[in-house]
Amino acid sequence: MNRFALLVFSVAALAVATGCQKDETTSRDADLAGVNVAVGEKGGSFSKLFVLNEGNFQKNNSTLDFLRFSDGNYVSDAFGSMNPAVVQGLGDTGNDLALNDGKLWLVMNGSGYVHVLDAKDETLVASVAVPDPRFIAFDSGHAYVSSYAGAIYGGDEKKGKVFRIDLKTYKIDGEIEVGCQPEGVAVAGGVLYVANSGGYNYVHENTVSVIDLGTFKVMGNMEVASNLHYMVTDSKGRIWVSSYGESSWSQDDAGNWVQSMSEPMGLYMATYLSIPKTVQAVKDVHVSCMVMAGQYIYAIGNAAEMTGGYDNTLYKVSLTDSSVTATSLSKTDAAKVGNPYGICVNIESGDIYIADADYTGPGKVWCFTKDLKKKWVAVAGMLPAHMVIY
Amino acid sequence: MFPSFLAAFLLFIQAPECHPEHSEGSDTLKAAMVSSISGSIIVPQRITSGELKSASSLSEAVRRFAGVQLRDYGGVGGLKTVNVRSLGSEHTGVFIDGIQVDNAQNMQVDLGRFSLFGLNSVSLFSGQKVAPLQSAKEYSSASSLYLESADPVFKDGKRDNFFLRATGGSFKTVSPSAVWEHLLRGGSKLRLSAEALSSDGRYRFHVKDFRQYPDGTVAGYDTTMIRSNSDITSSRVEAMLFSPASGVASWNIHAYFYGSGRGLPGPVYKKAGEYPLSEDRQTDRDAFLQGKYYRDLGDVWSVAGRAKFSFSHLEYTDFPENLPRSLSGPSTPLRGRPARYNYRNHSAYLSATAMARIGGSLKVNLAQDCQYDYLDSDLRAFAYPGRFSSWSCASVIFGKDSFEASASALYLGVRDSFISGNDRSSAFRSAFMPSLVFRWKPAERFTLNGFAKRSFRMPTFNDLYYTTVGTKTLDPEDAIQLDLGAVWSLWSEPSNHLTLKVETYWNQLKNKIIAVPTSNQFRWSMYNLGRVEVLGADLTAEYSKKSGTVELGLIGRYTFQRSRDKSDKEALTWNGQIPYIPLHSGSVNLFGEHGGWRLDLTAFMTGERFTTSANLPAYRLSPWTTLDAALSKNLSIARNDLTLKLCLNNLLNEQYEIVDNYPMPGFNFMLGMEYFF
Repeated sequence: MNRFALLVFSVAALAVATGCQKDETTSRDADLAGVNVAVGEKGGSFSKLFVLNEGNFQKNNSTLDFLRFSDGNYVSDAFGSMNPAVVQGLGDTGNDLALNDGKLWLVMNGSGYVHVLDAKDETLVASVAVPDPRFIAFDSGHAYVSSYAGAIYGGDEKKGKVFRIDLKTYKIDGEIEVGCQPEGVAVAGGVLYVANSGGYNYVHENTVSVIDLGTFKVMGNMEVASNLHYMVTDSKGRIWVSSYGESSWSQDDAGNWVQSMSEPMGLYMATYLSIPKTVQAVKDVHVSCMVMAGQYIYAIGNAAEMTGGYDNTLYKVSLTDSSVTATSLSKTDAAKVGNPYGICVNIESGDIYIADADYTGPGKVWCFTKDLKKKWVAVAGMLPAHMVIY
Repeated sequence: MFPSFLAAFLLFIQAPECHPEHSEGSDTLKAAMVSSISGSIIVPQRITSGELKSASSLSEAVRRFAGVQLRDYGGVGGLKTVNVRSLGSEHTGVFIDGIQVDNAQNMQVDLGRFSLFGLNSVSLFSGQKVAPLQSAKEYSSASSLYLESADPVFKDGKRDNFFLRATGGSFKTVSPSAVWEHLLRGGSKLRLSAEALSSDGRYRFHVKDFRQYPDGTVAGYDTTMIRSNSDITSSRVEAMLFSPASGVASWNIHAYFYGSGRGLPGPVYKKAGEYPLSEDRQTDRDAFLQGKYYRDLGDVWSVAGRAKFSFSHLEYTDFPENLPRSLSGPSTPLRGRPARYNYRNHSAYLSATAMARIGGSLKVNLAQDCQYDYLDSDLRAFAYPGRFSSWSCASVIFGKDSFEASASALYLGVRDSFISGNDRSSAFRSAFMPSLVFRWKPAERFTLNGFAKRSFRMPTFNDLYYTTVGTKTLDPEDAIQLDLGAVWSLWSEPSNHLTLKVETYWNQLKNKIIAVPTSNQFRWSMYNLGRVEVLGADLTAEYSKKSGTVELGLIGRYTFQRSRDKSDKEALTWNGQIPYIPLHSGSVNLFGEHGGWRLDLTAFMTGERFTTSANLPAYRLSPWTTLDAALSKNLSIARNDLTLKLCLNNLLNEQYEIVDNYPMPGFNFMLGMEYFF
């Protein structure tokens, strides 16, 4: 039971392990055992699929898993295994995961940290304290993190912020006020776009804040739709942003909660730098989670949510002509996905990874072919939500 | 032959000190009043004054019961609720002198708010308490915890009793209390009591995690932190009036006020910047006025009436999070004003009971209870729910020679009215709850007992109407309990006493109310979904030996509970042990008394538990053992009593959690002094 002695010993052991490193081509996390879920899986030029489990609210059980393509093993809590001496591990409520220049960035909403990991072996490079962080985006020199900045539900109406982190020093070197409760952020053409939700306000926000990254000043705000959420930008500098929708809720006689929409929910495409500015709704796309991969945006949402029903649907939105292909999961192998909470696509093989969050226990990560034929499924951590392929 | 209830009552007040296993006719005040034959058929687990003295708090006493899991969020001000036989704390009714303590909002009754001081006994009825002149509501909980006040006793022609008490110790805890008992001219007895508590609640705890690698190396961390924002100040003032010992009727009236302000330290999780993690506050003001009235109407009929009015006000203050100091520097202050939420709960309760004695062996008990609850809040779009409940109960109690049995039928009808949209709507729920209880004594020292009971837990106001989360169409949770037990007194002389007790049970909980996502996964709501099956056994052994002025005793309690999640066959949680219920748990109490000294050593043991029904290593909570010691000395100073007491809790400084991420205190102590004159 003498854990103090163990601690000293373990730190020493770790140091030894670091010292006698294997050759450079073998990642140090290669020794981590996992559960073999995908025999014969090939990731093409990719080596790992990273999965960030959000964890339960204030339970400090957010974890980082990965699937290793070389042997098809799914490794749980890789961060904890590779960084055992980091007090309280990753922390609470991982809200975003991004890959930039060989580094993995984890946005921990509950803990108020942005962790920077070496993507090769999940070792911790830096932890940057950012209050209430939500989502992250990058340009060549900086990371930009949206933040609720101390707002609370039921409290004063309070503007959010974007914090700027220097990629060399991992220190905050700027902050700027945006709309209330900012969510998704994306960079295109020297401009940062911020999706404002205003989720704590009586009347939600409906704008995207536009920030010139040269001067780090707000250039303007563009009205898009109410209660904005996820955001990506494409190579043409267009903004694709999803909305939680604007609705009121009531219960029908059977007790089902039914939404009455005053504004449509879904996906919007907007341009700000063009003349004139444009905003365009992408019709009938319900977004619970979305990702941009190649020339498409992939999203999953419940097509029947207005009536209180369940019809989880995969939407494939073409960036070229905005056309939408909708496939109901119920007619495919993905019918078993209970609660799609995150999506990722392998652009080489077209494989689709879906994070499936269970509400009482650990979630799952599913892999399907582009035709939604099941390839494998793995047991993840609590509320798997965010994935990147490396 | 039935002695009149009055005679029994007189008998009771003259001999209030009974040993648990010898007091079957006086489990509660009411039972004692009306019966020395039947009493309660189910003999409760009971902690009486002697053992109560060795406990440092009510929750610490309650967790000694077999089959019980105390849910404790840690610290002096942390919420403490009791979960009996894995059915959930909402299924346990807490009764003060036979009248239930309610919480219509969430049905959580915090044991931390009641003092041991002034209590005569604490009894736990798993299953159905059956006692004559019992109110209908007393049939409605799956299990019940009874707190019984001591009746004032005036010795040697005294008309006034005074108790002064002061305790203090770890966490900068100070608690003075005083009681004045007065014999009024007409023979009525008055008790006034007041107690105050102040504590900063701060304590050190360890956060640690070690993992072993395939090559045998072990690595991890162990760091010390301080629990803060866990302070509490509270005060309690009570007045009780008891009827004269002689008279055709007996009654009592109880007025109660409790006020407190406390910090809510919240769970421990990783947070940038400095602690505290949370600066949230809660203030409470609870008040009630309750009364009981009993009367014999001839040889056949007895009647009882009960009434209660209560009010509680909870104010919750949510502070914006404590931001890292490095970031709240030169720029605009990040910190906003706190949000405040107020909840006001009003309730009124009336009960009428009549009992007839038919022949020599049959009693019929009829009871009708009504209650109205109303919850007011300043939450956005609040439903302002009101609830009218009616309990109607008929039961028969049969007792002949060594066999006693009772059958009861309870009908509960509940009508809620609440705001939905712009209108006031209503909803009706009802439940039929039958129970069957028996006790049979085939041999002088051997008793068999058992019960079967179905009970329903109505959805709470929070389950139903909490803004945007509640679901107004929820069904009640459905609990079925089957129990068979035996008590064997091997030796029953006062000088040498050994009793063994076994209870085995099977429970099923259906329609569990849990939160799950709606058709829009960003919104969660309450649904009836879960099912749990419990197979359990409680073993108790009590041994005591008296030789001259020395008394030694040993009480051991062990609980086995296999509580399996049977909600969803496809899920990882299928057949897993449900959260927070250990397969094995138990306690051992060893005591010795000599010449006014009493020493108690108490050990609690809890086996491994999981935070989810998916019993994977990542969600395992470590087993824990704590050891407490209590030493007290009684002195007589000029014919007055002085008691000095020292409690040393968690002697082994075990670092443990009962609720995940809510660390419990390590070693702590309490020093107390009690003076009676």
